[in-house]
Amino acid sequence: MDPELIKDCVHCGFCLPTCPTYVLWGEEMDSPRGRIQLMDQHVQGVPVTDVMAGHLDACLGCMACVTACPSGVQYDRLIEQARAVVEEEHVRTPQERAIRGMVFALFPYRRRLRAMRLPMALSRRMRPFLDRVNPSLGAMAELAPPPATPVRLPPLVRARGPRRATVGLLTGCVQGEFFPQVNAATVRVLALEGCDVVIPPRQGCCGALSLHSGRDAEARKFAKRTIAAFERARVGTVVVNAAGCGSSMKDYAEVLKDEPGWAKRAAALRVRDLSEFLVELGPAAERHPLPVSVAYHDACHLAHAQGVRSQPRELLAAIPGLDLREIAESAICCGSAGTYNLFQPEAARELGDRKAERVLATGAELLVSANPGCTMQIAAAARRMQIAAGSRRAGKGEIRVAHTAEVLDASLRGRPPGSLGQVAGSGR
Amino acid sequence: MSTLQRLTERLSEILDQDSVITDPVRLRTYDCDGLTYHRATPGVVVLPDSAEQIAAVVRLCDEYGVPFVARGSGTGLSGGALPRTDGVLIVTSRMRRILEIDIPNRRAVVEPGVTNLAITEAVRDQGYYYAPDPSSQQICSIGGNVAENSGGAHCLKYGFTVNHVLEIELVTPDGEIVCLSEHDPGYDLLGAFIGSEGTLGIATKVTVRLSRTPETVTTVLAAFDDIEGGGRAVSAIIGAGIVPAAIEMMDALAIEAAEAAVSCGYPEGAGAVLVVELDGPHAEVDHQFAEVDRICREAGAFEIRVAASAEERAAIWRGRKSAFAAVGRISPAYIVQDGVVPRTSLPEVLAGIDRLQEEFGIRVANVFHAGDGNLHPLVLFDDAVPGQGEQAEAVSGRILDLCIEHGGSITGEHGVGVDKSRYMSRMFSEEDLDTMQLVRCAFDPKGLSNPGKVFPTPRLCGEVPGVRKGVHPLVESGLAEQF
Amino acid sequence: MSADEDLAGCGTTVRPATDADAVAGVPPRWVALPESTQDVAAVMRVAAAHGLAVVAAGAGTMLHWGPPPERCDLVIDTCCLNEVLEHASGDLVARVQAGVTAESLTQVLAARGQRLSVDAPAEGATVGGMLAAGSAGPLRFRYGTSRDMLIGVTVVLADGTVAKSGGKVVKNVAGYDLGKLFTGSYGTLGIITEAAFRLHPLPADSRWITAVVAEPGQSLLESLAASPLEPAAIEIDRPGPREPVTVSVLVEGVAAAERAKAVQDLMGMDAAVAEKPPAWWARLPGEEILLSARGLPAAVTGTLRVIAAQAERLGLAPHVRGSAGAGDLLVGLPPESDPAQVAAFVTAVREETAATGGRLVALALPEAVGVDFWGPVGALGLMRRVKERFDPERRMAPGRFVGGL
Repeated sequence: MDPELIKDCVHCGFCLPTCPTYVLWGEEMDSPRGRIQLMDQHVQGVPVTDVMAGHLDACLGCMACVTACPSGVQYDRLIEQARAVVEEEHVRTPQERAIRGMVFALFPYRRRLRAMRLPMALSRRMRPFLDRVNPSLGAMAELAPPPATPVRLPPLVRARGPRRATVGLLTGCVQGEFFPQVNAATVRVLALEGCDVVIPPRQGCCGALSLHSGRDAEARKFAKRTIAAFERARVGTVVVNAAGCGSSMKDYAEVLKDEPGWAKRAAALRVRDLSEFLVELGPAAERHPLPVSVAYHDACHLAHAQGVRSQPRELLAAIPGLDLREIAESAICCGSAGTYNLFQPEAARELGDRKAERVLATGAELLVSANPGCTMQIAAAARRMQIAAGSRRAGKGEIRVAHTAEVLDASLRGRPPGSLGQVAGSGR
Repeated sequence: MSTLQRLTERLSEILDQDSVITDPVRLRTYDCDGLTYHRATPGVVVLPDSAEQIAAVVRLCDEYGVPFVARGSGTGLSGGALPRTDGVLIVTSRMRRILEIDIPNRRAVVEPGVTNLAITEAVRDQGYYYAPDPSSQQICSIGGNVAENSGGAHCLKYGFTVNHVLEIELVTPDGEIVCLSEHDPGYDLLGAFIGSEGTLGIATKVTVRLSRTPETVTTVLAAFDDIEGGGRAVSAIIGAGIVPAAIEMMDALAIEAAEAAVSCGYPEGAGAVLVVELDGPHAEVDHQFAEVDRICREAGAFEIRVAASAEERAAIWRGRKSAFAAVGRISPAYIVQDGVVPRTSLPEVLAGIDRLQEEFGIRVANVFHAGDGNLHPLVLFDDAVPGQGEQAEAVSGRILDLCIEHGGSITGEHGVGVDKSRYMSRMFSEEDLDTMQLVRCAFDPKGLSNPGKVFPTPRLCGEVPGVRKGVHPLVESGLAEQF
Repeated sequence: MSADEDLAGCGTTVRPATDADAVAGVPPRWVALPESTQDVAAVMRVAAAHGLAVVAAGAGTMLHWGPPPERCDLVIDTCCLNEVLEHASGDLVARVQAGVTAESLTQVLAARGQRLSVDAPAEGATVGGMLAAGSAGPLRFRYGTSRDMLIGVTVVLADGTVAKSGGKVVKNVAGYDLGKLFTGSYGTLGIITEAAFRLHPLPADSRWITAVVAEPGQSLLESLAASPLEPAAIEIDRPGPREPVTVSVLVEGVAAAERAKAVQDLMGMDAAVAEKPPAWWARLPGEEILLSARGLPAAVTGTLRVIAAQAERLGLAPHVRGSAGAGDLLVGLPPESDPAQVAAFVTAVREETAATGGRLVALALPEAVGVDFWGPVGALGLMRRVKERFDPERRMAPGRFVGGL
């Protein structure tokens, strides 16, 4: 951990109200300011104790504090460095190690994920049992979305009408396997807006999960492979529709800074979130009316890590008939945060409940977000609340979820709002 | 086993395990508040969630003679919440429920850990807000505001915490729960308690006044070539009989920092900017705006911007409100000073600060509430350079001397805390301080509530000045210090 | 040496007291006429040496407030502490000696377009008296009470110690605020000798919008208080329990005339706009029998009803006046009212308004009434401890305050 980066913190506390774990527990050591203090202790020679590792692990990495910090503390860098130190120096319990090993052996690999779909669907019924064995397993089972019909995307989709740009699409591991319809919608929207879309067939994980968990070597390996894949595709811009992936790809130059050749190649890669890209490009296709009320959820990796807040709102608000509603405490993380809901299931669940409550309070019919993790997390929380309330009455605890791309797709194609999203908790 | 250890063991009678912190790594995260210059790792930290729990902890402290310190969000800038290594730190961050919102009576009842801004957010839709607005309002707690009598940019027109708090439930230093209400006959202990910096007890419930959202707000940003121009404008505005909601000034260095931090987009080349906010009924504000616009131009403003929307207003304020922390971008370390001078002395005092900068070769960025003469000089230094910290301290102290010379105060809103207690005797006579101590002794005869803060020499209650003999038992046991 | 000799030699004019100097019926032996804080300190040292009970007096307009002192040997008359020490108009601050009258201060400040935004309760009232009694008038709705305008104070304690707190800058949080503690303390902690206030510009224009209603609806009062028209005061006046209620609202500022029209719309067609206040504005509704009924603003109409009902029952004729906006009413009763009925009235109204958090405190009562002035006092234990620290020998206006302090 870089002492110079630690020194940037002036201890003003502006980060506290934006930190999900501080909001939950109200403890200094579970706030960004407190975690930086812990890092400082380590720099000054205090070894990584269980307690210290626990508080650092409890950070969701949502980066809301980075947005809030007036002193420009690079907490994102700091926590990545801290996680690497924890991984290296801290001996975890065998059970913790097993769970972490399983997640990192599974999520970055599409084929393995695909193989998991059926068992996961089964496992939902085994939830109470799994919860007893290990809360992380229970969380994994609960989060699993219903199995989706696989969608195979062609390597190239031509623009409709005059071509305005050529872009590459990152399909993402979790997005690709569990939400293939989002990738399909993304491709259609881009094509309708006049883009040739290249979808390199051999792209793998972008490395986001590894990077955000301090698994540095793994992250670098994935980064290089992704860079190479898009270089081969010869596209001007890589469009990403998953917030977590987008933020890590934008960080490639920093991840690979010790390998100048790669860092240069990383810097040459122009990465844009879908909404960011579409706003820059400007609308061309006709927007058909879509009479639906939408609560837009800021995915942390989009809003805080990439600073993309206004663009998705702008795109949604421009759809005729769409009623866009704000969610209270929009800057607070939903608790998904990459692998967080798997490793810190209790905290993640509390945050998920808090978020679902506020989402439901908007009374919107549709929850829209740009990150599959968030969608899974909030949907699971809403489902829990519904079960707890023992009711499935319409409008109570029932909300459909969709990705920004799907909403745009429906409008561009003139589809009815009923075609959008799945009902959280329908167990379809 | 030490007294503190014995006390700590008994904390489990009051609090669950999650609410008592004894792990040394965890304890150290509480070693300072917003002022990092002073640090002390607390002996034990407790996170109560009710007044009864606080009262029980305080009674234990009273029983064992152990000092205690209250802490809210830990954003104070005078070290008022600096812990005691031999004491208990009582943190109110889990007491953050808004208990009641009573619109017909324009009041709200909140727990001490509720943030200042949370109150406004809870009542904004109904057309109300909580007026005191310290720059840290999104995180600072009401309990802390009460302890420090916090102000903010808008206190020029609306006053301070003490003018907006109607009732307080508190735990006295002997562990009794007492209510002080503005309606009660008798001494104004409510007024005396607010601003006592945690030395008279711990607020556990606070009833605040809610103010009506003004019909309109106009925020003006005027850029000047230099501070003098801005100063002339301020005097002329006050002279014209206008009381704006706020008049804030920033000098070139402060602008540079804010620009680096939040890209506030203040006019380029400005040697000083003035933020003037007018609020009230449309008819009044329109008239006042015309006057302010004319006055600023006459005083030499080269650019005047008016916020046309809530976003633009927020953008203007963003630069000002982030200024303190933003200075971290242009300097490795800095001291925030908080002196007050009569407004008319501002030019002389600023000139004096300029001379100090030259004399010591230390840069000072100036951010201030110009309307009420409250200066926030930011004394910049590099803590990696040996001796520069001391130099900065010296400059900081000399600035306070300047304030006192001009009939001002050593603190306008940050409080005395541990940081400025040594300057108290420059501002007040021994008799003044002894008289204030009478209040302290009435509330806290054992001197256990936040000892070592506010007063330079914590005189023990019951002691007659001048006849101290030998070492007092409290001093001997390390519970009090004497100089 | 005797007290007489010491007083004569303390450097301040001390004269023997006459019947006219009696404090709430208790005659003192001497009256001191100090001209400075140091004079007061010197007199107080003598008083301390001889164990004299001391009462400070200004113009005497409120000297009869509160229970009579248990003992009163020496009155310190502040009439010669009558200097406006400083009017820093550029700083909107004034520093005055305690004996300065509100009228003369008003004149000095007005000469440079400023004012102290606290209404004087009576002609001739002194700044010190207003502070000791915690005065507040109609402007309290907007500006608060005298404690809210006070930024610095110099006091002399029972033993002659001179202490100050605050200063002459508006914004100042250094040390405890003794000013708050002394404001409204009825002279039981010490003697206020100097005070510094924050000032406001004199309003460019003022309008009073006045309407007479059979009984004001709480919704009218609330809508006025909640109005973003920024009223400076919302007052009511009811001369008798069966009389209609006059509601009068003050707006101040350049656009007062325009805003008055908007207030008029809120109040209804019958409301009249005037450039002068109603005759009763900022005057006390009673002299020898005067009560204060404070509570939540939303309880004002309820309090009016309780007062009227109890007055009917007991055959009394209370005159109610005060700030409906702040929930702070004064009740005057004719001096010839039957003492037993007045006592019953105080007790009954006190009990009934307590249900909604109201407090009924007697400001002035003839001795014959024989009812507790204060009613329930929260935090009395702490107040006792404060009194014991400041005045351990109980020589400062003993017995004049809550709990017999």
